[in-house]
Amino acid sequence: VTELLALGDIKVPDPKPDRVYSGDFFGEAVSFHSLKRLLGAADFSKAGDRNAGLAAPSEKLREAARTLLSSLTLRHIYDNPLTDDAGKVDSVMRVNYAIDLARFETIADSTLGEFKDWLLICRPDEAQQVAKALTGVMAAAVAKLCDVHELILIAKKIKRTTQARTTLGLPGTLSSRLQPNHPTDDPRGIALLVYWGLSLGTGDALIGLNPAIDTVDNVSALLAHLDQIRGQTGAPTQICVLSHIKTQLACLERGAPVEVMFQSLAGTESTLTSEFDVSVDLLDRAYRTMAAQGPLKDVARQFMYFETGQGSEFTYGKHNGIDMTTAEALCYGLARRYDPYMVNNVTGFIGPETHADNFEMIVANLQDHFMGKLLGLPMGMAPCYTLHSGITLDGQQIATQLLTAAGANYYMDVCLNTDRMLAYFDTSGHDDQTLREVHGLRPAPEFLKWAVERGIFRQDDDASMRRGPYWGNVRQFCNSDLELELLLKATPAAYGFDTAGPRPANAVSRQTRLHQAIGREAIESELDLALCETVAKFRMIQTEASDKQSHLNSPSAGARVARECAEQLEKENTQVQVLVSDGLSAAAIHHNLPDVLPTLLDGLGSHGISVGQPLLARYGRVKLAEHVAELLGTDLVIHLIGERPGGDAFASQSMSAYLVYRLSDPATQKAAAQFSGNAEIRFEYTVISNIYSRGLPPLEAGAVIVEKAVEIIAVKAAGNRLTMLQSSQRSH
Amino acid sequence: MSGCQMNDTVTLVGLDFGTTTSSAAIASAKLACNSVTRRMELRNVEPRYQSEQVFTPFRGDLLDEARLAGYLDQWLKDIRPDEVFGGGAMITGLAAQAPNAADFASHVRRHLKDGVIASAADPCMESWLAFMGNCWELSRANPDRAFVNFDIGGGTTNVALGCNGEVLRTGCYFVGARHVQFESGSYRITGLSSYARPLLDHLGIHKSIDDYLTEYEVHAIIDWYLALLESLVTGSGAAEVDSVTALHRQVPFDGGPGFVDIAVTLSGGVGQLAYRGLQSDTWPGITAYGDLGIDMARRLVQRPFWREHLIQWVPTGLGRATLFGLLRHNTQVSGSTLHLSDTRRLPLSDLVILGSVSPATPPAEVERLVALAGRTAQGACLRIDLAQCDRASIRGLAEQLRQSIAKQTAIEHIPLVLLVGENLGKVLGQWVTEWGRSPAKIVVIDEIDARDAQFACVGRLHQGVLPVSFYGMNVSGASS
Repeated sequence: VTELLALGDIKVPDPKPDRVYSGDFFGEAVSFHSLKRLLGAADFSKAGDRNAGLAAPSEKLREAARTLLSSLTLRHIYDNPLTDDAGKVDSVMRVNYAIDLARFETIADSTLGEFKDWLLICRPDEAQQVAKALTGVMAAAVAKLCDVHELILIAKKIKRTTQARTTLGLPGTLSSRLQPNHPTDDPRGIALLVYWGLSLGTGDALIGLNPAIDTVDNVSALLAHLDQIRGQTGAPTQICVLSHIKTQLACLERGAPVEVMFQSLAGTESTLTSEFDVSVDLLDRAYRTMAAQGPLKDVARQFMYFETGQGSEFTYGKHNGIDMTTAEALCYGLARRYDPYMVNNVTGFIGPETHADNFEMIVANLQDHFMGKLLGLPMGMAPCYTLHSGITLDGQQIATQLLTAAGANYYMDVCLNTDRMLAYFDTSGHDDQTLREVHGLRPAPEFLKWAVERGIFRQDDDASMRRGPYWGNVRQFCNSDLELELLLKATPAAYGFDTAGPRPANAVSRQTRLHQAIGREAIESELDLALCETVAKFRMIQTEASDKQSHLNSPSAGARVARECAEQLEKENTQVQVLVSDGLSAAAIHHNLPDVLPTLLDGLGSHGISVGQPLLARYGRVKLAEHVAELLGTDLVIHLIGERPGGDAFASQSMSAYLVYRLSDPATQKAAAQFSGNAEIRFEYTVISNIYSRGLPPLEAGAVIVEKAVEIIAVKAAGNRLTMLQSSQRSH
Repeated sequence: MSGCQMNDTVTLVGLDFGTTTSSAAIASAKLACNSVTRRMELRNVEPRYQSEQVFTPFRGDLLDEARLAGYLDQWLKDIRPDEVFGGGAMITGLAAQAPNAADFASHVRRHLKDGVIASAADPCMESWLAFMGNCWELSRANPDRAFVNFDIGGGTTNVALGCNGEVLRTGCYFVGARHVQFESGSYRITGLSSYARPLLDHLGIHKSIDDYLTEYEVHAIIDWYLALLESLVTGSGAAEVDSVTALHRQVPFDGGPGFVDIAVTLSGGVGQLAYRGLQSDTWPGITAYGDLGIDMARRLVQRPFWREHLIQWVPTGLGRATLFGLLRHNTQVSGSTLHLSDTRRLPLSDLVILGSVSPATPPAEVERLVALAGRTAQGACLRIDLAQCDRASIRGLAEQLRQSIAKQTAIEHIPLVLLVGENLGKVLGQWVTEWGRSPAKIVVIDEIDARDAQFACVGRLHQGVLPVSFYGMNVSGASS
């Protein structure tokens, strides 16, 4: 168990005023006005950095920045800690400085350029040993100087092995985390997805589930369910339910099998604390608790699991002027403190506002993998995407081929690439096996032994590993055909078990890809104004997103009414205003509006509620409702908006109704502030989601929305506070 | 909001009062939404209490209500009646023929505060429940094969034929272990039912109370019973039914053409004895239970027709059917967006199902059915068929219902329950009541498969959903 150095005992140089880094490049004087600016400009151009104003506007300026950065010594990076917006060294940066200073001294006077060259020519053991001498910023700075080959070549030198029930990161291995996410945490669907993954030889790193509901009861039940499956199948692996660290600690306290403790990390303290609700102190407590009480404390050498990914600090507007790559490296510096069993990188998860296309996603993944390895972490990779970005399945596959060449420890197994709960796309068990076969790799040895015994794999006389007779056979884990049928019936987006070699059979792939294509088409579809006009007489409003691309790439633009349009809206002070916008699926509006809106207006009118003429907005985001409510002085805005499509073609027709209640009177605002703990709260939300023919049918949704709107207006509350007040009324 | 995150535990109760024995079971189940079908359902039904089987107490021809009430109190002592979400109680076989069976059913209903159905003399329902409780899993696992389940109890044999978990035909015969009762350990007759006496005459067995039957005579009786049951599957029965056979037929079963590949399963007391004996090859002494049950079970295992099926098709519960059926299959769960004018009226029991209406139903027929509902004592149900209907046609039907209800002043006080298969309960209810302005006390329950039943029972609201059970089943195939 690692001794955790107290934060106050970590030596960090005092912050210094920003300095200018400048040079003459073929007759042009180029300057960067801070180290943060220099680091940002030296990186590959990525959407998040462009949106933050950090990316170099041209390749020439990028190369100028890289040249200047190359000339800085590691000591210079050490002596100039990056600070938060208040000019302070935050706790994440401080943890990054917990390095082996003696070893650092041996490299401190190398320039970053020289250091990169040394990494290219040094022996693997030397590269491995340098990990503890580097801060995250140093690792990020070197990454920015590397091309694709260098990112792969250097990372491949470094193997990081960790051990719980299985051993990860051994030479010649490629492991996987089985992620059986289910939209409602249905134990049957989860069981099927675990069985399916195990039959494909995945799950040797972890069976790790993201819960739909993050409560102690639910997470404890899910842990018990996974534990039971693990015991029943005999698979030598470990389980985890990826809830908040506080939930997991409470579960552990109850005796639930929290075998591996998970938490998402961020590279700035403000993101970590205010968005992820985690502090270094809490992470320390979780680590110490696991060391003392974790069910695997006598078996595992490591037991912490962290997830990171470029862009979260930018998305939350808490990046402190630090570029995405550097912030990501700071996460690794934080993760390193806890000697984790696994670190998983999910760059690509957020969307086009951080990574717009395949190139940005691929190069960011290679950088992340490189930096993690350089800092001594057991890096697993999850190059992934959402349908509203320009990233595709093919780009993801290219990323995995390159990352496997670079020596990634593991990938995810998200069944048929489609996450049924989080509506994004990740690597599949079929991908994992394909990569093993292409690169001559095998699972962790403990797991392989079990899988060979079950006939999932077979080992030939020459010790080479092949798929066995039971590879891909899900039925082997079920007691009967009926059991399999019932499990299948509880599992969405399961397009078939058939395989061709390590790949899904063509018919299965065609289904998967077609569903994705329809989802993407829904995102790209434009709102059909003429169709909407046949449903109701609308007033058109413009958002600050001027076109589809700016709408997708900048969520904040769609959350504001354009200025010239806002100037024309006057206070109407109605009780309800209906707002319709495309969101991320205009198809959802086309599909549902004709049934929802007439029913909704009919019901509101019948209740004698004053309603403004409906508004229609292209390129709207959920929070557009808040701006509309303020401009019109409306109590309640009912915002009908298209949901982000996932992997189910039908669900791309899914719409949500956000009932956004404006806390206009002081007494109500005070009550809401007290309830939420947010003194500045201005709106409360009730959401009715999944409105489409296969979810909540639009006709029925119209009546449901009316009922909820009437309640909100009567009780003067929405969301959890409304539920609480109604519950309290009922109990009286 | 669509209710699909719900994952709550509810309590189910099953009570079985048969000719020979009675028993109870209590189970917990999860109330949850199926993420694929998006429908609410009960899952993970886990028995948490199973009573001992007791002999059903009679006083002469009557059920001994006082002793039965005592059993009821004992079995249900650890649960509150108002926590019971679903399940049911069945009085079956000769117990259901007792003159006071209906009174006792009412007592059970009252005991459970009208939360579940309690039904007597409902032979098609019994057949349906026995099939669902005993061989639903086998039937689902072998969807191309027809299964016939014989639930052989003390007084009756309930027959049901089904495919892929769906019951298609039912029947009921007065064939059972307790028509001839003996002194335990011998064949000395201590009782003969009104069905047994003519059968003995028919077989030329001229014996009465206190006489001893020979083993040959016992086999003759049993073989007659089993031949009758076999003929239901093989179709080998005589075209002309004699008077004794006709007497034993409560609800005729018609296996009908088209099912060549048939598998047979058994349930009920005799069925359980047969499976147990086949597996262990040990049998209680003759007439140990004072009736024909053990001999019937042994004979079933010996006769090639039954033996082959009993070996090949073994249900998980080895013949324990009615309680399983009551617990696992009798209660449906509504959708989470239903319409309730007044929750204080719940639960609602013994609601007669008057018929079906759809947007295509003539207005006069809608009006007639609503008027009929207004004349019922406890309330009534209408099945509403909205499959493939558009907004305008649903609105039209809602308006028709609204107008029909407006003409019936009595209906303000009598619950009218509309049973809808689709997820449209809220909107239909709002339209029919003009968004709550109408005083009509209607309940619209959606996402319910309103089986071909005559009566419905609507339980207590739990987390926004309602349990619904049906009885008075019409599923008897050719004879319905």
